[in-house]
Amino acid sequence: MAPEDSPVTASNTLPKTDSAIWNSADDHPAATNRRVRVIGPPSFSPGTIFTGLRTLAQYSDLFYTLSLFRLKVRYKQSVLGWIWAGLQPLALMAIYTFVFSHVAKVNTNGTAYPAFVFCGLLPWIFFSGSIGNAVNGMIAYPTLLTKMYFPREIIPLSYLAAGVVDFLIASVILAGMLMFYRVSLTWNVLYAIPILIGLGIFAAAIALFFAAVHVRFRDVGLALPFVLQVWMFATPVVYSLQAVPQRIRGLYLLDPVAGAIDMFRGAILYGHSPDPRLLGLTAGLAILSLLLAYAYFKASEAAMADLV
Amino acid sequence: MIDLNLDRISKRYFIPDASAPRHWYSSLGSHSAEMWALQDVSFQVNEGEALGIVGHNGAGKTTILKLLSGITAPTRGTITIRGRLAALIEVSSGFHPELTGRENVYLYGAMLGMRRAEISRKMDSIVDFSGMEKYIDVPVKRYSSGMYVRLGFAVAAHLEPDIVLLDEVLAVGDVAFQAKCLDRISTLRKSGRTIVFVSHDLASVYRICDRAILLDRGRIMMEGGPRAVIDTYQKLAIPNPDTQELDPDKQAECLGISFFSKEPGDVVRTGYPMVARLRYRASIALREVAFRISLYWPSGYLCAQLTSETTGKISNLEAGVGTIEFQCPVLPVVPGLYRVDLELEASGTELDLRQRCATLCVEAGKGASGDFYIDNTWDVRVEPASPESKEKRQA
Repeated sequence: MAPEDSPVTASNTLPKTDSAIWNSADDHPAATNRRVRVIGPPSFSPGTIFTGLRTLAQYSDLFYTLSLFRLKVRYKQSVLGWIWAGLQPLALMAIYTFVFSHVAKVNTNGTAYPAFVFCGLLPWIFFSGSIGNAVNGMIAYPTLLTKMYFPREIIPLSYLAAGVVDFLIASVILAGMLMFYRVSLTWNVLYAIPILIGLGIFAAAIALFFAAVHVRFRDVGLALPFVLQVWMFATPVVYSLQAVPQRIRGLYLLDPVAGAIDMFRGAILYGHSPDPRLLGLTAGLAILSLLLAYAYFKASEAAMADLV
Repeated sequence: MIDLNLDRISKRYFIPDASAPRHWYSSLGSHSAEMWALQDVSFQVNEGEALGIVGHNGAGKTTILKLLSGITAPTRGTITIRGRLAALIEVSSGFHPELTGRENVYLYGAMLGMRRAEISRKMDSIVDFSGMEKYIDVPVKRYSSGMYVRLGFAVAAHLEPDIVLLDEVLAVGDVAFQAKCLDRISTLRKSGRTIVFVSHDLASVYRICDRAILLDRGRIMMEGGPRAVIDTYQKLAIPNPDTQELDPDKQAECLGISFFSKEPGDVVRTGYPMVARLRYRASIALREVAFRISLYWPSGYLCAQLTSETTGKISNLEAGVGTIEFQCPVLPVVPGLYRVDLELEASGTELDLRQRCATLCVEAGKGASGDFYIDNTWDVRVEPASPESKEKRQA
């Protein structure tokens, strides 16, 4: 740029690097390739999803940074740190093992109950934990909504990404447990990957929907712990799918979480390949929910700063 | 090229109506009152132009910034933005208290739309600008509020936007850092960036902007040169003397003041004559009257006080309306925008005090730099050479 932008008088004590800010010609792209954006009143259309995803892609670095910091912040100033990601499911496993294998017996098809329940708890804790964090995190820092602009879905989705990492940590404990109980693995274990992706998609859908509603109605945050508690007992976490009466099983499996947990346990513990119809149904429902939830989230996004 | 175009923008907020009966479903919005923060606002900002927006609290300034930055959407109308826009509205509101300064630079930078690689490349320069090398790896919850803002502005200063939105960012930080920020902004201006500046600091608006808009209760009241807009804005603050309702409780009051060089409307310049014409109203005859006009720097410090006591000419006033004139043959104050207080005293009792009720805009005239202008004449006298001094020089 013009030489007068960087005066060389003795009084100019600013560091040299400053001259690189704002006034270098290379940093200022030619006017011709500037992007034009039009902001109008919020509207609901299928195009919203498309433009939303494009903006989200532009902010992919924020998504990465925020997810990384969610993990860092969560275990800051705690002595046990990352171990908590494994302790939580272990503690629940101990409680449920006491209740459902000593107080009331649950049929596990011959597998040790701790391994059986841990296999169900892992995906469930990922699901419920991510949703709980995402919904509460949405309003944890209201200034983010009122003073900053970025695609709002990054907030709930970053909690979900952190949940995935917690899941991976806890999986190490699952691997140890499988060795301890001498469960022989088959190649069908790999089915766990598409099953978990389906569960993740459904978790994203639920998190986005509840997070958007939570900004307007705080009732969501109050009701959520209860809803999740009930939901857990509506999925085969502490009992097996065989315990569900045959005539309501079709309805029962319309819940993608129930299907995912049963298929996950089947693939890991029993070496079963999932029923393709159930896998298709679960994935289809998850994707459909995500599309609807994302469209709803984007439509309510514009008003979030005014409502929070 | 037009960088920003606001086309008939309106923004409605709902505020809970306190008078309406409350039910359990009230929060669903059925009983909230409408509040239009902006109504039918249209304006354009050209590439490389600096636009100032002034107005009282609640006039809709912040709403405009929020709409431009995408934080909230208009109720009606469309906004067209050409290029990368950076909003420096309350820098540091994107900080996470548990994270270190360095981590927050990544976080805040990403929120402003920077890439991680870009931030890494500029990290040294950012830390340098903030002047916080020592504390950059300390969680920001241990920072003072000034440190927050310095780091936030340092990140924002490293954006490469086409359009910049500035709020009251300059009002924070110590004097040295403010100077640094102002320096950044003038660099920004010179490099042809488009600026929208919202501030109560009229002196900064005057200095930075090419054009200004006056907002009043959500509508554009005036658009034009910064000086004319600021003048109008100031007149809003002090009621128009002709339409003003007289206050019967007051024995006397100042009705308004205007500054000019020789004739009303003339520009006031450093080193040239200045007249201050003040209108007053007295409902009773006053004795031992003193008028005072105080000029304040933008920083708030008192620059000068003019008082009629020293002249001895005005001591008693009849009841009625009149004007008094303060005349200064050579104005010593440097160019800038000064805020004005008016004071009227009689028999040692203060009858009227109008704080910051007007501005005095002084344009460049005589004198180059310094704190004030000294009226001066120069003479040169060459001394005849004497033999004595010649000897000394040779020795």
